[in-house]
Amino acid sequence: MIKLTGITKSFGRNQVLQGIDLQVEKGEVVVILGPSGSGKTTLLRCINYLERPNAGRIAIGDFEVDCERAGKKDIHALRGKSAMVFQHYNLFKHKTVLENVMEGLVIVQRMPKETARRRSVEVLEKVGLGEKLDAYPSQLSGGQQQRVGIARALALGPEVILFDEPTSALDPELVGEVLAVIRRIAKEGITMIVVTHEMGFARDVANHVVFMDGGAIVEEGAPKDIFNKPQEERTKQFLKRIMPEPAYSI
Amino acid sequence: MGEKFDISYVFTFFPKLAGTLQTTLLIVGGALLTGLIVGFLVALPRLYKVPVLQRISQLYASFFRGTPILIQLFLFYYGLPEILKLAHIDVSRAPVLAFVVLTYGLHTGAYVSETIRSAVASVDRGQVEAAYSVGMSGYQAFTRIVMPQALAIAVPVLSNVILALLKDTSLAFSLGVMEMTGKSQSLATLTNHFVESYISLALIYLVISIILERLLLFLERRLLRHESRPAEAYPVFRRERFGRLRQFFTRERRVRFREETR
Repeated sequence: MIKLTGITKSFGRNQVLQGIDLQVEKGEVVVILGPSGSGKTTLLRCINYLERPNAGRIAIGDFEVDCERAGKKDIHALRGKSAMVFQHYNLFKHKTVLENVMEGLVIVQRMPKETARRRSVEVLEKVGLGEKLDAYPSQLSGGQQQRVGIARALALGPEVILFDEPTSALDPELVGEVLAVIRRIAKEGITMIVVTHEMGFARDVANHVVFMDGGAIVEEGAPKDIFNKPQEERTKQFLKRIMPEPAYSI
Repeated sequence: MGEKFDISYVFTFFPKLAGTLQTTLLIVGGALLTGLIVGFLVALPRLYKVPVLQRISQLYASFFRGTPILIQLFLFYYGLPEILKLAHIDVSRAPVLAFVVLTYGLHTGAYVSETIRSAVASVDRGQVEAAYSVGMSGYQAFTRIVMPQALAIAVPVLSNVILALLKDTSLAFSLGVMEMTGKSQSLATLTNHFVESYISLALIYLVISIILERLLLFLERRLLRHESRPAEAYPVFRRERFGRLRQFFTRERRVRFREETR
């Protein structure tokens, strides 16, 4: 479904990704964990071509692109297959909640306005913002803004949604409402790749956990394997620091 | 020195000067239009860091911001026909007003380009990325997401530019264009009532300025309506003497006053 092969990326002399291979099946929820600076956000941004990989291949669905030769058209096609939810929401500040969600449908997918509107309202109701259609982002709480961000991604009907630390900028109180929404759409079988520090969420929702460090994948597997009996020393260290208690007490 | 001061002249001059208002407004309108187009075009190479054009646009902005408008007027009026003559283009019969509008337009363009550049830079990069991520092209992201917000940010600065332009048009008189200042000069010499003529002139400039200011403020509010804050976000001032007056001048129409507590 999604297949990354040998993705490398460097900023100047600093090599951030050292040849990443990753495969994600349809309907899977993949959580990427790792210390900061391990390249997880860069990897996610490469999938959406917000960062241009130096080499490697990206395949989403039946579309495949060679990063060394990707032209404008390829990038455009690739972006059409994925959608992104950002850490800082990145909503269009001059547009209302409804317009934020409709924008991509009308401008990019050329959907008739009425259809786009119906679809947007439907998605916004799903994330619990049916009453806030005409509000501007500045009038919403962080949690509400992030839910608009999720609705904007969801409405496009992408093959995969990429979440870049979706709860890291939120007040602790508001994290729950956003995670609940992500959980709900995960149940609907939408493919997701999530970079997060929410261990509880990773354990409950993920089908597959990837641990990255130093620009490479150190270990990957089912969440209960990674959390309960990690194989690599680096993974053990990381999990110990982030969760001092034993993962499962039974 | 002229005749004894007579206030009634202020009123008789008023309609006469207002008659030449259209020339002034024509210069302002023409120069503003030229300035917005030129300013926008000149800002582009600097926004996108186009190698050679970037330097040229910097040079352009430096020249028009770094020399007095009066000198620019003379340079264009006397210099441009000479240069064009070398290319065998004869502009000696072009109206003076055309030179005036062109000079003011280029002058305004320099300021507009700087304003646009800084306004575009202040729209956060994240929104552009979001636009790309929903599949927009660079052009779509610029016109639909960045430009509208940059415009809203630029309006307060553009207001200054427009008001400065209005007042600067008084210098067009030095090339013999009969706009308001020129007219007031000739009325003054004719009647020997100098002070009255200038009072009348100042009043007209003031009225036009206030009208323009109001219109632009309205535009600013309209473009920034997405920033509307709830009432409690407005600054609270201690109620003080001249409070309302101060409100009028500080533009903070929506300040709230804290009631004095004893």
